[in-house]
Amino acid sequence: MEQFIYYLKVSLKGIKRAPLPYALTIFILSVGLGVFFANATFYYQLNSDPLPQKSDKLFFPMLNLVPYQCTTDCRTPRVLSYSNVQKLSQSGIPTQAAAMYSADGYLRINATQPPLPVSIRITQRDFFSLFDVPLLHGSVWPDNSARQEVILTKTSAENLFGRTDVVGEKLLLDDRHVTISAVLDSWQMLPRLYDANNHNHLSDADDIYLPLETGYDMNYLSNSQSSTFDDTDYRQLSTQGRTGALHQLQYWVQLDTAAQQQAYRQFMHNLVQDEKAAGRHPSEPNNQLIAMRDIVSYFGGESSDIKAFALVTLLFLLVCLFNASHLSLNRYLSNQYEFGLRRALGASRSQLQLQMLADVLLMALFTIGGALLTGYAGIKLMTELLPANRLFADWDLTLLIALLLLAVICSYLVTLYPSLRASFGTLNQQLKE
Amino acid sequence: MITLNNLSKIFRTELIETHALRDVNLQINEGEFAALTGPSGSGKSTLLNILGTLESFDGGDYLLDGQSVTGLSDAALSKLRNEKIGFIFQSFNLIKDFSIYDNIELPLRYRGLNADARKQRIEQALELVGLHARRDYLPGQLSGGQQQRVAIARAIAGQPRILLADEPTGNLDSLMARQVMELLEQINQQGCTILMVTHDPDQARRAGRNIQIIDGQLHDSTLYEPLAAHSA
Repeated sequence: MEQFIYYLKVSLKGIKRAPLPYALTIFILSVGLGVFFANATFYYQLNSDPLPQKSDKLFFPMLNLVPYQCTTDCRTPRVLSYSNVQKLSQSGIPTQAAAMYSADGYLRINATQPPLPVSIRITQRDFFSLFDVPLLHGSVWPDNSARQEVILTKTSAENLFGRTDVVGEKLLLDDRHVTISAVLDSWQMLPRLYDANNHNHLSDADDIYLPLETGYDMNYLSNSQSSTFDDTDYRQLSTQGRTGALHQLQYWVQLDTAAQQQAYRQFMHNLVQDEKAAGRHPSEPNNQLIAMRDIVSYFGGESSDIKAFALVTLLFLLVCLFNASHLSLNRYLSNQYEFGLRRALGASRSQLQLQMLADVLLMALFTIGGALLTGYAGIKLMTELLPANRLFADWDLTLLIALLLLAVICSYLVTLYPSLRASFGTLNQQLKE
Repeated sequence: MITLNNLSKIFRTELIETHALRDVNLQINEGEFAALTGPSGSGKSTLLNILGTLESFDGGDYLLDGQSVTGLSDAALSKLRNEKIGFIFQSFNLIKDFSIYDNIELPLRYRGLNADARKQRIEQALELVGLHARRDYLPGQLSGGQQQRVAIARAIAGQPRILLADEPTGNLDSLMARQVMELLEQINQQGCTILMVTHDPDQARRAGRNIQIIDGQLHDSTLYEPLAAHSA
């Protein structure tokens, strides 16, 4: 240890001999790494698996079950009609399943208060267990039947009541009375893959949750994708929405085993064949069962901006590494005489490499500081330029450790070649320089 | 102590080969103080560098303390240099921003001695060269003669078996050169073998043995009586 402290002191002396080239090396590395850090943060968060323990078991089924002959754009609709969901729900194969759509509304405690605009997730009871949503107070609806009950997020409860224990309290949802049945604990599924269809997976979660049947009864119109394939009037959701070919429901199922998945595919196939045989489905079958982890790429929701930035920042980092290496090489070559002297006096190459490790450690420390500052500034700038990505600007422990390791590796690379060059020269020649 | 058998060294470029040393045979015994003389470019420094394992050779064999250095690994050569050989360079080769103490400590650091052992050896060496009071000075704050004494202190702090000195007085005026020579003689009297490259015939005479090199070959190996005995 005492020897390593000595190596560190020698490194510091080396820095003092030529502080400007050293500072320039650190600056170049910090900028390269900082810009890379900023982009890597978004890239990592956007591509992270929000439910690693079960994402391979969650699937998004799509049926080409529409009552018209497709001629041009024959892609399977991304959303299902109410009747399609009912038919899929009868399979009994999934461990859990939930249909959903989103709508907008206003919420207040009583008529004297100004209404608070809220986004509403209109869904079924399994939604909360499908996506591991934590409850703070109360319980989820016991079944999927219509009920005048809502589930609030913790933030919504605090905004409305200034507290979270509000189960049983009454609210006015668009001036219709509803009761609070539960309050969620802090929860932010990022990316929000259950809503990838609408490219909403980068945005905040909804403010309140309403049973699907109640949403239909209360005529809450979808604020996202909605398609009608017959003469159903989408504005008459409460009266026509359940029977007509109004497609607006996203549907998620949990299939725990390969056998379940195979059985569910077969069920979907049989269902479409039966519908075709009954004359309700003239187009070619084209069922899809998309795994959650593939959903963003399937719907083309990957951020091309971030991908392009990733490539550019990687190239920029390589250029910075090259330049920093060059500067470092000059620094080491100007110190070559000292390397030679140390070897002449008995230092082995491995001892000189330990000296190099001390150099790396110091450089990594300075670089990490500079890179984190630059990275933080870069993230702030990118959230200004791409506000949709603001939720993905946090450093978690795994990412931070990975970034720090990268800084150490880059410092090592920048130091490795120059120090090897310096320590492997001809001793006699080095001593003359 | 040192045995060279038919040692040769060739410097090669794309166009020419230069035989820097040809079939050099040499025996230096323990406790000798030998001077290596010869015209510029005759191969003195090359021979000294080979003896110090700072440079490789192309043919023959080099035995140090009965052990051949041929084929030794980098680590083994480093250990050998660190423990058995002390270097004194013409231009002192001190690290400018290291204190005198830190410069002398350099070879001891690589030997793995603990702080107390290093301190003891450094202080002994400083005492011998008479620079104990200037242990915290930087080399730039000392005269040329003092800097060379620091270099000598660094060379002897590791208590080597042999000192290799490459024109140790070449950059010094006559007074300082005499002081350095006296110091080397004092070290030699304590049992350390010294091989010194020099152009100065007086210094060669003081060394007791003069080994001459001309065109890479040993021509003469003259033994003198010790200068003190001679003058007596």
